Amino acid sequence: MIRFENVKKKFGDTVVLNNISFNIEPGEFIVLIGPSGCGKTTTLKSINRLITPEEGKIFVNGQDISKANPVKLRRKIGYVIQQIGLFPNMTIEQNIGLVPKRLKYSKSEIKKITKDLMEMVDMSYDEYAHKYPTELSGGQQQRIGVLRALAASPPIVLMDEPFGALDPMTRATLQEEIVRLQKKLKKTIVFVTHDMNEALDLADKIIFMEHGEIVQMATPDEMLANPANDLIRDFMRKSSATSDPSNLTAADFMRTNAISVYKKRSIRECTDLMARQHIDSLLIKNDDDTYVGIITIKDVRKHGKSSGSIGEIIPNENITSDAGENAKDAFDKLYNSGDNYVVVLNNDKTIAGIISKTSMATAMADTLWGDMQ
Amino acid sequence: MSFFETYGDRLITAIQVHLCYVLTSVTIGFVVALILGILLSRIPQYAKIIMPILSIFQTIPGIVFIGVLFLYLGMIPATVIIALAVYAIFPVLKNTYTGLLDVKPEYIEAAKGCGMSPLQTLFEVELPLASPSIITGLRMSTIYTVSWAVLAAMIGLGGLGEFIYIGIASNNNELILAGAIPSAIMAIILSLLIDVLGRFIIPKGLRGAK
Ligand SMILES: Nc1ncnc2c1ncn2[C@@H]1O[C@H](COP(=O)(O)OP(=O)(O)OP(=O)(O)O)[C@@H](O)[C@H]1O
Ligand SMILES: [Mg+2]
Repeated sequence: MIRFENVKKKFGDTVVLNNISFNIEPGEFIVLIGPSGCGKTTTLKSINRLITPEEGKIFVNGQDISKANPVKLRRKIGYVIQQIGLFPNMTIEQNIGLVPKRLKYSKSEIKKITKDLMEMVDMSYDEYAHKYPTELSGGQQQRIGVLRALAASPPIVLMDEPFGALDPMTRATLQEEIVRLQKKLKKTIVFVTHDMNEALDLADKIIFMEHGEIVQMATPDEMLANPANDLIRDFMRKSSATSDPSNLTAADFMRTNAISVYKKRSIRECTDLMARQHIDSLLIKNDDDTYVGIITIKDVRKHGKSSGSIGEIIPNENITSDAGENAKDAFDKLYNSGDNYVVVLNNDKTIAGIISKTSMATAMADTLWGDMQ
Repeated sequence: MSFFETYGDRLITAIQVHLCYVLTSVTIGFVVALILGILLSRIPQYAKIIMPILSIFQTIPGIVFIGVLFLYLGMIPATVIIALAVYAIFPVLKNTYTGLLDVKPEYIEAAKGCGMSPLQTLFEVELPLASPSIITGLRMSTIYTVSWAVLAAMIGLGGLGEFIYIGIASNNNELILAGAIPSAIMAIILSLLIDVLGRFIIPKGLRGAK
């Protein structure tokens, strides 16, 4: 279905794809994975001629694509771009219907397709179809981006990190949905990800890339059993770490939406923020984003004045933990201290998130009764 | 009271003539600028050199330009309209060009990826996304042209400038105001009309985003 023969691509002097060759059978789900900048996006874009390699040949359906009409070629290949790229001047329905419209589908057909697809991802047609992309959340936009690629039921779909901005729940739903669709409609999918778990779950075959070369192309089982080099082993270990409780780190449990403010913000702004967010403390940070301490609403009351900046109030030294610290140690700290949460810090002392007693309880329930999410 | 009795009819004619100059020359200038802007945006590497050269023309005083044209073409309305149209081009050209270049590459890539041809990409993605900027250019052009059209009177071709010149020559403040106030009002009304036009042209999804 898709065949690369010694494909080479340079940007200026840097070689981005170095003699890539592989073959994808019809109906296969291929996942491209590898560190950032290794050439995944470039490989993907070569397939629909958004990028033209200097050397080598690419065949789609037996046809040498350098001889194909790019516009026609692309209408047969669905494409989800890494930056989502929904057109802000078009409604959701117009975005999804873009390729079908080019292929002269009737209006009612387009509406039906849009409706069916949106239902598939739990978005109501009536509520969202006539909205504009900016009115949707990042996750919703990403779903629409995927639907747009599927709309004209192309036999091949290219997806560049399509689930990057999704919460784990939606991500899991969409992953299942994609696999189901692919099996049912026998689509050939080339899917780019950073996430080895996602690759292992989805792929018929994984292509692991590094520095513009293919390090290994294998089924998930093969790759798990015989990773070709240390980097792959590393990727695998990171992904399996999450399934072994003793390897869990503070970062795995923290909430990343903790609210923090710079020292220079005024006290009035900070109290407003607390009231609006229904919270009784704020994380305080320096101008360079490093963590200072926390200030509670009680501290503010004790301080008396509501003029001046929040930095004038002496912050509490809340307990902290490193993002990489063992989760159990972080929990112990939290349990033994009187504080309401642990502030999790990155290596550079910036705030990564917080672990509250609720996060702790959820984690325990998870291990007792399985995945609570 | 007596002022309107004496000058009323002439004032109305002058407003009509003035408006006519503005509308014709802005329309011509706009179309030319839009086409030029689109063409230049297809060749940004050359446009980087061409745009500054074009902007030099902008700095030639209107009086000089209209005077030179007058020598070649004579005292006909085309002289005024050509001169004004040339000046109307630049703001629209600049805003069309930058508006098109400011369209994020991800949209153009997504459009290509969806199998849109370059022309479809231009008309359905790039121009709509650049439309707020283009409309701003049109507004600037129009407002400038209303004031430049005063120069028409310099070569005896009427418009509100007539009142201003006679007023200056005869030291009559009433006449100066009779030329200046309507042209100010004209500029305001036209720019309001362009806002309304913008409401139809600028895609809904872009409002508030810009
Ligand atoms: N248009 C370009 N001009 C110059 N260099 C480029 C261009 N596009 C990509 N590159 C370079 O080519 C290399 C591969 O890029 P590519 O986008 O394929 O990486 P990737 O594997 O998709 O990375 P990521 O996971 O971060 O998306 C990178 O080093 C990148 O900086
Ligand atoms: Mg990429």
